[in-house]
Amino acid sequence: MNFNLLSTEIATALFGSVLLILSLVTGKDARRGLGHATLAGLLVLLLITFTQYGINSGGFSGTWILDDYAVFMKQVFIIAAILVVFAGKSYVEDFTGNCNEFYVLMVFALLGMMGMASAGDLITLYVSLETMTISFYILVAYNLTSGKSAEAGLKYLILGALSSAVILYGMSLVYGAAGTTLFAKMPPVSVASPVLLLGAVMLVAGFGFKIAAVPFHMWSPDIYEGAPTPVTAFLAVASKAAGFAAMLRVFLGGTPVAPDNWLGIIAVLAAITMIIGNLVAIPQTGIKRMLAYSSIAQAGYILVGLMAADPAGVNGVLFYSMIYAVANVGAFAVVIAVERATGSDEIAVFGGLWQRQPLLASVMTVCLLSLAGIPPMAGFVGKFLLFSAIMDQGIYWPAFIGFVMSMISVYYYLRVALVIWRDEPKDPAPIAVESGMRLAVMAALAVTVVLGVYPAVLSDLSLAAAKSFFGM
Amino acid sequence: MNFSPIAIALLAPIVGAMLLIFIPKDERRLIRWIAAFSMGIALLLSLAAYFMYDFVKGGFQYTISIPWVKELGITLALGADGLSLPMLLLTNLIGFSAIFASWNIDKRTKEFFILLLLLIAGVMGTFVSLDLFVFFLFYEVVVIPIYIMVIIWGSSKRVTKEYAGMKLTIYLLIGSAFLLVGLVALYLNAYPAGQRTFLMSALAQASFSESFQIYCFALLAFGFGSLLSMFPFHSWSPDGYAGAPTAVSMIHAGVLKKIGGYGLLRIGVLTLPLGAKFWAPVIALLAVGNVAYAGFIALAQKDLKYVVGYSSVSHMGYVLIGLAAMNVIGVNGAVANMFAHGVMSALFFAMIGWVYERTHTRWIPDLGGLGHQMPRVATGMLLAGMAGLGLPGLVSFVPEFTIFIGSFAAYPVLAVLAIAGVVITALYTLRVLANVLFGPRRAEFDDLQDIKGPEMVPLVVLGAVLILAGMFPWYLMDMVNAGVQPIVDTVLAKVSQMTALGGGVK
Amino acid sequence: MLKEYFGVLLFAGVAAIIPLAVFAVSYLLSTKKDTPEKGLAYECGMDTRGETWVQFKSGYFLYALIFVVFDVETVFLYPWAVKFGQLGLFAFVEMLIFIAILLIGYWYAWKEQVFRWK
Repeated sequence: MNFNLLSTEIATALFGSVLLILSLVTGKDARRGLGHATLAGLLVLLLITFTQYGINSGGFSGTWILDDYAVFMKQVFIIAAILVVFAGKSYVEDFTGNCNEFYVLMVFALLGMMGMASAGDLITLYVSLETMTISFYILVAYNLTSGKSAEAGLKYLILGALSSAVILYGMSLVYGAAGTTLFAKMPPVSVASPVLLLGAVMLVAGFGFKIAAVPFHMWSPDIYEGAPTPVTAFLAVASKAAGFAAMLRVFLGGTPVAPDNWLGIIAVLAAITMIIGNLVAIPQTGIKRMLAYSSIAQAGYILVGLMAADPAGVNGVLFYSMIYAVANVGAFAVVIAVERATGSDEIAVFGGLWQRQPLLASVMTVCLLSLAGIPPMAGFVGKFLLFSAIMDQGIYWPAFIGFVMSMISVYYYLRVALVIWRDEPKDPAPIAVESGMRLAVMAALAVTVVLGVYPAVLSDLSLAAAKSFFGM
Repeated sequence: MNFSPIAIALLAPIVGAMLLIFIPKDERRLIRWIAAFSMGIALLLSLAAYFMYDFVKGGFQYTISIPWVKELGITLALGADGLSLPMLLLTNLIGFSAIFASWNIDKRTKEFFILLLLLIAGVMGTFVSLDLFVFFLFYEVVVIPIYIMVIIWGSSKRVTKEYAGMKLTIYLLIGSAFLLVGLVALYLNAYPAGQRTFLMSALAQASFSESFQIYCFALLAFGFGSLLSMFPFHSWSPDGYAGAPTAVSMIHAGVLKKIGGYGLLRIGVLTLPLGAKFWAPVIALLAVGNVAYAGFIALAQKDLKYVVGYSSVSHMGYVLIGLAAMNVIGVNGAVANMFAHGVMSALFFAMIGWVYERTHTRWIPDLGGLGHQMPRVATGMLLAGMAGLGLPGLVSFVPEFTIFIGSFAAYPVLAVLAIAGVVITALYTLRVLANVLFGPRRAEFDDLQDIKGPEMVPLVVLGAVLILAGMFPWYLMDMVNAGVQPIVDTVLAKVSQMTALGGGVK
Repeated sequence: MLKEYFGVLLFAGVAAIIPLAVFAVSYLLSTKKDTPEKGLAYECGMDTRGETWVQFKSGYFLYALIFVVFDVETVFLYPWAVKFGQLGLFAFVEMLIFIAILLIGYWYAWKEQVFRWK
């Protein structure tokens, strides 16, 4: 047994436990220190993942795969977590009562995501998925004083449990038809039996819930709106990326279902997700709801990469996940800062942000433009990679829908920019930005711009990771 | 790496914008002069590049090539030939004038000039990039500053500036989405994986199947056409110009639109000759739509900016029909006319800007007799108007004449219809000039000041070009011909070769 | 293909008919006499008094949760203990880690005053 394959996860689990113990022995007045400890630990975890590149092997009877793909995805999760903690530290510390578990739960959610990226069989996948989801149930309802947060938590619990059940049912059907839970051992079948097809459909539906693809997206706007904003950011970014990581493992890593059988479903899902997500985002007046719908649309773009089902497509998914994570957390970080200062998450309160805090105004604009896919922001390169992968196979219409819809998305992204840059502020008092928040937004800004002008830094890595996924 | 004036000309406004970031926002004088100075450098360099161009050698000169993203085949390649140099010069002429046309901006001056410089740099970049990816990058960089400038500094007369800005942005972006699909398809189909490149020169040598060419050219034509305000995708243009601040109207009508024509020729026609051949009659037909439809609408307008807005849509019809002729004379005329129209419409918008700033109205019935109080503005407007209707001796006479000769050879009926459009142009131009500039002296305008000092720059620079290029047209036409001749020759060779092989081209 | 699915339909139909038929038969054959006893819940402990929609103390659930955790622990411990001789040192360390994790949770619950009935 090669425990090196598990070193990141063991470190994460240990780190989570240590955090829990720390929170027990330090008492409630030492919260600030706990945030710092979390950051330090996450940075160490990130460093550890860098030693894991190039291992590319499986273990534990095939239930665990550590290829560059998994390592890359884990870095996406960890980076998202680091940014969220940087940006959300003060927000969390504003909570009344005990906030110690917040960081602990985040770390355990992270552990679950890591497992999803590395899972080599259905059971590991499911256990990891539940580790992540259950942590999120609590995190979403974390703001005890807010009725909305509690409502969001309950909704997420019920709908999340439902989707988990659907996934589990789908898995049992796939297992029944294939005779094994290991992805690698599943025999390729050209003509699938109805049972297998049903299983695949259930898996698509279940994962569709996790990544909030239309028509399984209904939960996400309510929950994104109600949850504490840092949790929303983490949920929208890391949980979604983890959903994709697992979905790729299941569908490309070797379901016995031949691509012909599920590609059609994925294609339709991708198309309606891009269209509906973008169109419904237009009339939103709350920034969190708007970002929720926008992140639904983003899932649609990433699905196009899955549709391509080749290294170029996976490369797009990986690259875009990282870019999306950074830009989205950057946008949410600004929302957190503004929400703390004004107590509201309406788009209107962003009015005149350029006077109150030019840094936040610029970061918000750049991040939104990146999400919209306007060059020279990194989002454009990401979309280019995703869509050129599918166009390379001679299938043009998803790319067509994608490009047109992302240009339409500019409409609602720019509306926020318009409020920020045009309006005079109602309350001209500058918004204070403490050091952690400053670091988070500066990092998001820098990454989004630098990767936009010089994408090779990341795309080399993601391409290698994508190739490792296919054992190349 | 050898010295490249165009690269430095491209960097000058960017460096200027970066400098401006660090200037305190109350230093309005300093901000304006820094902007003017950086554009002055860019203008001088582009003039130098224009007149140092080696006709004997021909082709792309002042080239720079830096590999950027290797695995995607993206290269930061810059260079200029006879097609891009007039456009580059035009950009800098108008950019330089636009700085002075915005001399009196006092609302958030710093942000305005930063955005303006970025906008100019973006437009310049599209004309000198030899790599499709970089071309698209610069093109998209342009869209966002325009949007922000329209919504902050624009004016809401007939439509609100928010509406105008959003309409303009969405039209351009939807157009660019089609364009992007076309460009990516071009990139993917040119070479097998591993050898792919975005370099235009390499793409032009790749061979594409006829059906692909037809299909892909349609996408490009839609994208570039909506940018060029091709009928019926033109409706963003008058609204957008009306809502935009003067400098943006100048740059937009003057050069930004020309990216459409430039791209259509450089990318569409050169790489997809069969597609171009297939669609040329349709484009010619739409071009007549541009000329006639927009001309008639311009007749009925009462807002000065709308008149010029529709007139520029109408003029783009000439450019399109010249391109659609697909012979050397017609394309020469089209490219030269883009230059001519750019200078003329920018001058017109600058003058309208001064009139609006002083009288606070652009409503033609409210204006009159301005020639008495503001002779300099009147001179500028008159010059621009006369150039617009193609008066011999001014810049646009030779290009328009060339277009008619070229297009008559290809589409006699459509060409005659388009020529008839000149009559409409004359009607609305003269009507506007007569109503605004001439007539009895009006007392309510007596205390208005004529333009003076730095405000004169747009009039002097653009007016001088208008006259000089009219008097010495060969300086323009030779350069254009040096760029167009090789392109059209290649295209015709390819078309005839393909026809001989496939035989399926009508 | 369609023929195969017809079997499923038939099966579903029969499956629906059987319970309906049973209900129908018992409805037709039974004698109907209402007594208060019949209205009571069937074999569900004591008769309730007062409002039945009452909120349970949340401490009860926490208490139950901790109990279940250790309940499950014994499920793992039992086979481990039976085969302990053959499993060797590795399994011993593994079980220690397992128990340690549970103990941390126990400690946490204690510290958070789960066991104090307020």
